[in-house]
Amino acid sequence: MKTGTTFGTLLLAIALLGMAPAVSMADHHEEVSNPDIKCLKCHSKNLRKKLEDGEKMSLRIEVEAFETSVHRVIGCTGCHRDVAKGKHPSKQPIASQRAYSLKHNQTCSQCHEAAYDTYKGSVHASMVEDGDAGAPVCSDCHSAHAIQPRTVYEPVNGEPCSTCHTEINDAFAQSVHGLARTEGNLIRGEHVTAPSCAGCHNAHDISAVTDTEYLVPKCISCHEVAQLAHEQWLPNAAMHLKSVGCAACHSPQAELRVDLQLYDQLKQAPVRQNESNSTVQETLAAIDTNGDGLDPVELWKLVRQINDQEQASDVTLLGRLEVTNSIDAHRLAASTEAVRSCESCHSKNAEPFQNVTVSLSRKDGRKESFKADPKVLNSAMSVESVGSFYAPGGTRIKLLDGLLVLALLGGLAVPVVHIGLGKILRKKLESDKK
Amino acid sequence: MTTSESTQKPIEQSHKRVYLHAMPVRIWHWANALGFLVLILTGFQIRYVDLFSLMSFETAVHLHDWVGFAVIANWFLWFFYYITSDKITNYHADLDAPNFFKRYFDQAQYYSHGIFKGEKRPHDVNPNDKFNPMQKLTYQFVMFITAPITFLTGLMMWDVQRFQGLIDVVGGIRVVNTVHVIMFILFVFFIFLHAYMGVLGPKPSSHYKEMFTGWEEPHE
Repeated sequence: MKTGTTFGTLLLAIALLGMAPAVSMADHHEEVSNPDIKCLKCHSKNLRKKLEDGEKMSLRIEVEAFETSVHRVIGCTGCHRDVAKGKHPSKQPIASQRAYSLKHNQTCSQCHEAAYDTYKGSVHASMVEDGDAGAPVCSDCHSAHAIQPRTVYEPVNGEPCSTCHTEINDAFAQSVHGLARTEGNLIRGEHVTAPSCAGCHNAHDISAVTDTEYLVPKCISCHEVAQLAHEQWLPNAAMHLKSVGCAACHSPQAELRVDLQLYDQLKQAPVRQNESNSTVQETLAAIDTNGDGLDPVELWKLVRQINDQEQASDVTLLGRLEVTNSIDAHRLAASTEAVRSCESCHSKNAEPFQNVTVSLSRKDGRKESFKADPKVLNSAMSVESVGSFYAPGGTRIKLLDGLLVLALLGGLAVPVVHIGLGKILRKKLESDKK
Repeated sequence: MTTSESTQKPIEQSHKRVYLHAMPVRIWHWANALGFLVLILTGFQIRYVDLFSLMSFETAVHLHDWVGFAVIANWFLWFFYYITSDKITNYHADLDAPNFFKRYFDQAQYYSHGIFKGEKRPHDVNPNDKFNPMQKLTYQFVMFITAPITFLTGLMMWDVQRFQGLIDVVGGIRVVNTVHVIMFILFVFFIFLHAYMGVLGPKPSSHYKEMFTGWEEPHE
């Protein structure tokens, strides 16, 4: 009996010893549900799984982070439903960490259908679809197990966007918007609601800001009086707001360019790059054989050939003045520092007109740009092809300058020649009389 | 009468003064002249801000716009004055084309050498036919083609958004600007020629005086 009692005590002791970590976890993390304790029993350790690509994936879950996650209420099996069926997938091969993330990207849609649907139309989803290994899936922004409430995604530090867009976030932090956020949403003593990343780019339906129709209305949606304010002093304000990006003037240090976007006037939409019009790129490559950028004649040929190839289309080039890189686009200054000098664009050799690109829109709205010779803005050949873009003074046609010089010289020459002719004839008449 | 016959005619010794330019026409003319000069100057400033600095680009654009509207309004005053008066005959097209062009070349010959030989003017002016064939063709072109095209293209550039539909129809803003600048070039040439032709009267000041007094200056 004594032996039996001793054996029983030993078994109990072993059992208690075996349960010790779980009990301890339950003591410290009361919020974690009971079934999850079972998972965390192993997954709180440094478990690693060898993947098919040879890499090792950590299976460790940070318990503290999971405990504060909004997903703790649904527990591990809320997402890992294959485990709920009683089949722990430890033996199932995983091709790569990326493949695993992509698989679980679908999982989020089971509950977050609306958000997932908007995400599917985003630039990020498009990049995923195109096989970009760096393109973010749900867990890249929201994390896999430390999913935080929405209020956390209104930060000053730019997370989660800053994880990938570090330089842009640094530029934004120094911008009028970024500074306002760090200074309690105050601009010149006025209380404002300065935007975070999602304020302009949306949270899930992240659009290509280079899409012609996107950004200016976005700015005006907050700066409602901007249109009126510009109309007070800027001639053709509506046209400027349409063909000049806000950052082109409001990011005064930014490098600028003119982008000539292939645009279908019949469809009232940019020419989108897709499988059916892959010929656009082939046409471009065939025209610009030396690859030094499209000159005026080549650009004219490009527009002509695209129109010949594409049925029921009226393709032209929609010109737009914009910042060259997205980092500068986020260095928005206070309105008092914005470029206001018309001469900065409306004069010969103005900086924005020295950098010209021709662009084709990808299906997600991002542009694929091709270099063009700045002469395309000053050539008589461009009257048809670049018909929709003209900045008086800045993109003037050289041939017309020549004609004006001829008119001036002709205007002066007529009196001079006529007076000279008169003198000669009078002299002749006088000599004839003699 | 052939040109050779006309050149052999004696120089006109006396000339009955004719009231050629009514007050509204003279006011219109000088207002138009001033307007065009300002438009040409501001046009130069807008197009060549890197070469001239008479005023800022912004001022030049605003001035060009306002004076442009004034010149357009002035054109309509001119048009309604002529269309409602018997003076419209000055701008009537000559339907006898062979005769018109014969007189046109007579006038050209007069300007090229007849004027220096003291020949009689081939065209006798009167208030209802004050333009010689060269003037008539030029003014018809300027007033009914060049000016309206300049006004229309100017309006389109004044408010691109408002006239976007029309701008698209003609091929885009660059087309509009190109046409406007070609008209501008023609006007620059015209202004030089017009100012010079003004000194080809009986005296260099005669035609200028006529545009102030309305009365034709005497021919010797």
